[in-house]
Amino acid sequence: MNTVIEVVAPRLLGPAVMVAAAIIVKGYTDVGDGFSAGVIVALAIALRYIAFGSEGAERSLPVLRHAPVVAAAGLLLALAVGFLPVAGGDPPFTHQPAPGAHVVKLGTLELISAVAFDIGVFLLVCGVLVTLVHQLARLVEDADR
Amino acid sequence: MKPPRTGTAAWAAVATALTGFAACLAGWLAGGGDIDLAWAPTLDLRLQFAFDGLGALYALLATGIGTAVFAYGAAYLPLHLEHERMPAAAGRRFWAWMTVFMVSMVGLACARDLVLLFVFFDLTAVASYFLIGFDRHQRESRGAALMALLVTGISAVALLLGAVLLYTTYGTFSLPELVQRARADTTTSIACALIAVAALAKSAQVPLHFWLPRAMAAPTPVSAYLHSAAMVAAGVLVLGRVHPLLALDRTLLDALLVVGLISIAIGGLLALAQDQLKQILAHSTISQYGYVVVLYGIGGASGAGAAALYVIAHAIAKSALFMTAGAVTLATGESRLSHLGGLTRRMPVLAVASGVAAATLAALPLTLGFFKDELFFGAAHDRGTPMAILAVVAAALTFAYVGRFWFGLFTGRPGAPPRPIPALLVAPACVLAAVALAGGFVVGPFAGLAGDAAAVTHGAAVDVSPAYHLDARAENVMAVAAWTLGGALLLLPGVRTAAAGVTARAGDRIGPRRWYGVALRALNTFSGRLHDAEVRDLRNSIAAVLVPTGILVVLGFAFTPTRGSFTVGSVQAQDLPIMVLLVLGVAAAFTAARDPGRLRPVLALSVLGFALAAVYAVVGAPDVALVAVLVETIFTLVFVGVFSRLPQLRRPQSAVRTRRNLLAGIFAGLASFAVIWATLSRTSPASGDAAAQIARAHDAHGGDVVTVILADFRGLDTMVEITVLAVAVIGVASLLRRGRSW
Repeated sequence: MNTVIEVVAPRLLGPAVMVAAAIIVKGYTDVGDGFSAGVIVALAIALRYIAFGSEGAERSLPVLRHAPVVAAAGLLLALAVGFLPVAGGDPPFTHQPAPGAHVVKLGTLELISAVAFDIGVFLLVCGVLVTLVHQLARLVEDADR
Repeated sequence: MKPPRTGTAAWAAVATALTGFAACLAGWLAGGGDIDLAWAPTLDLRLQFAFDGLGALYALLATGIGTAVFAYGAAYLPLHLEHERMPAAAGRRFWAWMTVFMVSMVGLACARDLVLLFVFFDLTAVASYFLIGFDRHQRESRGAALMALLVTGISAVALLLGAVLLYTTYGTFSLPELVQRARADTTTSIACALIAVAALAKSAQVPLHFWLPRAMAAPTPVSAYLHSAAMVAAGVLVLGRVHPLLALDRTLLDALLVVGLISIAIGGLLALAQDQLKQILAHSTISQYGYVVVLYGIGGASGAGAAALYVIAHAIAKSALFMTAGAVTLATGESRLSHLGGLTRRMPVLAVASGVAAATLAALPLTLGFFKDELFFGAAHDRGTPMAILAVVAAALTFAYVGRFWFGLFTGRPGAPPRPIPALLVAPACVLAAVALAGGFVVGPFAGLAGDAAAVTHGAAVDVSPAYHLDARAENVMAVAAWTLGGALLLLPGVRTAAAGVTARAGDRIGPRRWYGVALRALNTFSGRLHDAEVRDLRNSIAAVLVPTGILVVLGFAFTPTRGSFTVGSVQAQDLPIMVLLVLGVAAAFTAARDPGRLRPVLALSVLGFALAAVYAVVGAPDVALVAVLVETIFTLVFVGVFSRLPQLRRPQSAVRTRRNLLAGIFAGLASFAVIWATLSRTSPASGDAAAQIARAHDAHGGDVVTVILADFRGLDTMVEITVLAVAVIGVASLLRRGRSW
């Protein structure tokens, strides 16, 4: 069982990030949103914690150290997207472009401000969950020592 | 001994205050301006600020006195920290809260919307809590901070209630619009009375005055700022703002008059007998704001103008006197008036500066204070002879306690000898004294500012033009009478002590401070009982939510017709997958409830969750299904992780408790079953809100309505929810690992 996890865990992160990116890119026209994408990436990372423990997981993926910063950045991005319209005199969460206006598309990705908000949600959810898993893993390991 | 170094935080705060003062001055000279930003139009919430006369007056006071006090604090705080054996880093906390306080005071001064007014009102209360309780290792400081927060914070709820009452009647929180729409009726009067209660508590008026003397546990710069020119001024500022509404009901104004007069009397009499320097000044503040409340009670153009000038003169003088008290205490190590005296020779500069400040408060000529009393006497005289007599007695009380304070400190038999103190502890008081003295010669700018402020309060242009008149007009006669009476009180300590003693004894016996203590203890006991009954045990906490919910549902069913609300649909062949999944879910639920272990119930719960997710997928809600699967997975992980750390299970619970838990569970389960059945009996996805949102999803450039709702239609909700996530992880970090973020 452990062997299976140890083989699968490191190889699952790439596909998970791909699925998350696909969900965000297609999100506004299809099932899924920033929240689901964030949880999918966090689950793949949690699998690494299960397979290698917190130290092993964080050694093989040093970028995890920045999870709290990612969460904060996501919160700030979402806040900025939500409340920037207030500066222009619009109610908050007035997304651009307006209804009926032309939308620039890159493939299936529609360039609308709601997608930026979704990316903020994604970053926050992913950062928060990774931090949570880290805290729990550390708690267990500190007690075992 | 080398004095400890002043931190950069202090100088940054001084610079901020000075910049703020310059900006406010420029803003006032430029004629003000306003901002009106509807940031949540569906809730009628807007950021409505106006830099009008009233806003300018209080913003100038908050930043101007702030500059002087911050400079004083820059010298005071290092000595204070050393004396209290606190680390120098604690100073940063102090300056952060001082600056927060100043900014919220400026915000309060300029707010023209009742909700904003409430928000800034409470912000000042929160900042004052941390400032009064700055010496947090001392029990007295903590108690004083809590008392100030409770009294001003709870009464601030009255302000919110008043605001909501006015909103339901007139449909706006905006004060200028309210002033136009409001009529004299009972609802308006009740709402205005509630707002006035909050304002009076903030200004430490009887019977909610008792927090102020206790708040003297704060470091002196805090008292010199909050308890002379800022926190207590916030109350009369609100009175000045809503005065056009108050004036609709004459009874309210008369009530203000009574409260103000009682506060003058009680504050003044108690100030006569206090021995602690700061206690004299605290009681004097109660009495002095009583004057302002009386003037708002008199109302009209003369009352509004006099009140505005009174606030200016008092803030300048009182702040300088607080600084004097702090400097003297630091120099001599003594804070009791009876152990001090004869300081003129040793501290001549301070003696002159505080002499001018005392003369301003006592309304002697050649100071700004003379004009505050001239206008006060004028307004009182217009009101009638009884009011004029009361005004003279009030001014005589002020003269007596201010005289006692200054003469006790600087003349007579020498008391504790002073050590040299930094010049910066004396300089700010000198600057304020110079301003008060300048106001005695050139009153024009002060009168102009007061006139601008009074125009907002009165609702029409007000001409404030005090001047010296060398004739026997009523104001001059009243002033001379007040000085004579005050001088007599000063020279007759026996009368003074007797009057003050009676008041103090009566206050101890029936005073509100005692009721505060009784109420606090009763609340504590009640909270303890509630905690024992509900919170101590997880099962009790759950039952405390589920059982009342069940009772509410039963009551709801008892009072609403249920005929036709419960339909039993038919089961067809294509429903078979759902049936299988639901049976699986029911079985998992029974396992979770019955199994005494730990891991198996968790796994059973996740089986239940996955079964429901599959049901969502089958009935065509892929968004919900996706989220359910993901959340269920991560929940199971977290559950297992936390459970591995829990201590071993204790012995099984008693039979009584088990039966009680079972009953609570069955009751709540039946109630929720009934609710869900009723909801499922009338599903009609093609109507109502859902249909409208599906139709509008296309306009929002979205194909998937759930995503559009989350990011656009209900974007603010999503924002709040993800903020909760961030707060939750901070909670986890502080609970599990003492706040380490990684």
